[in-house]
Amino acid sequence: MESQQAPKMSIILISPDLEKLHAGSLVGSVAAAAGMTVSVFVTMGALKGFRKVNVEAKNFDHDELGQAMLEKNLPLFYNLLEDGKEVGDLQVYACAMAMDLMGWEKTEMLDILDDVIGITAFLNMSQGSQVIVM
Amino acid sequence: MSTEIAKTVDARGSFCPGPLMEIIKAMKTSTVGDVLEVWSNDQGSVKDIPEWINKVGHELVYTENAGDYWKIAIRKMK
Repeated sequence: MESQQAPKMSIILISPDLEKLHAGSLVGSVAAAAGMTVSVFVTMGALKGFRKVNVEAKNFDHDELGQAMLEKNLPLFYNLLEDGKEVGDLQVYACAMAMDLMGWEKTEMLDILDDVIGITAFLNMSQGSQVIVM
Repeated sequence: MSTEIAKTVDARGSFCPGPLMEIIKAMKTSTVGDVLEVWSNDQGSVKDIPEWINKVGHELVYTENAGDYWKIAIRKMK
């Protein structure tokens, strides 16, 4: 067992919907808990959900399920990602292209973002992994 | 080996995967051989926690229906 390489999972978050951010983060955190190496790539509309200004205001796109999550004070996607980091090997990356396009700085984003990287770097680290796109 | 409960984690009111995450965090600070009990009223966790135990190689000691919640006992094996 020890010599076996940990299976890898890559999660690409694209949608700004709270439900999709949550579902992707939930899968990632549980995969990390089960010993998988998890890389989360946050791009396009999903990035705004990681801006501190939106998180503080709980300003997220959502449907009725997301509304229930907010009303019942569920731990949200960023809490799940934090859990994944705490119990396993989970990294979160922001898409450099989307960050450049919007003129956002890493300091405006949640601290759970480990780095801002390009798709080439992400493809390299996700090679041979299961890929989930949300 | 004793089945005395070394630590109890009350995760009632927490939704999936909250109870799983709470028990994993509690296990990190426990010693091998310890039995930990997690309380959960989340239906998914009652199925998920034993799956996780099986996957990572701990021991499921018991799952017990305590009325409106479940008690799941785990022995830390590594």
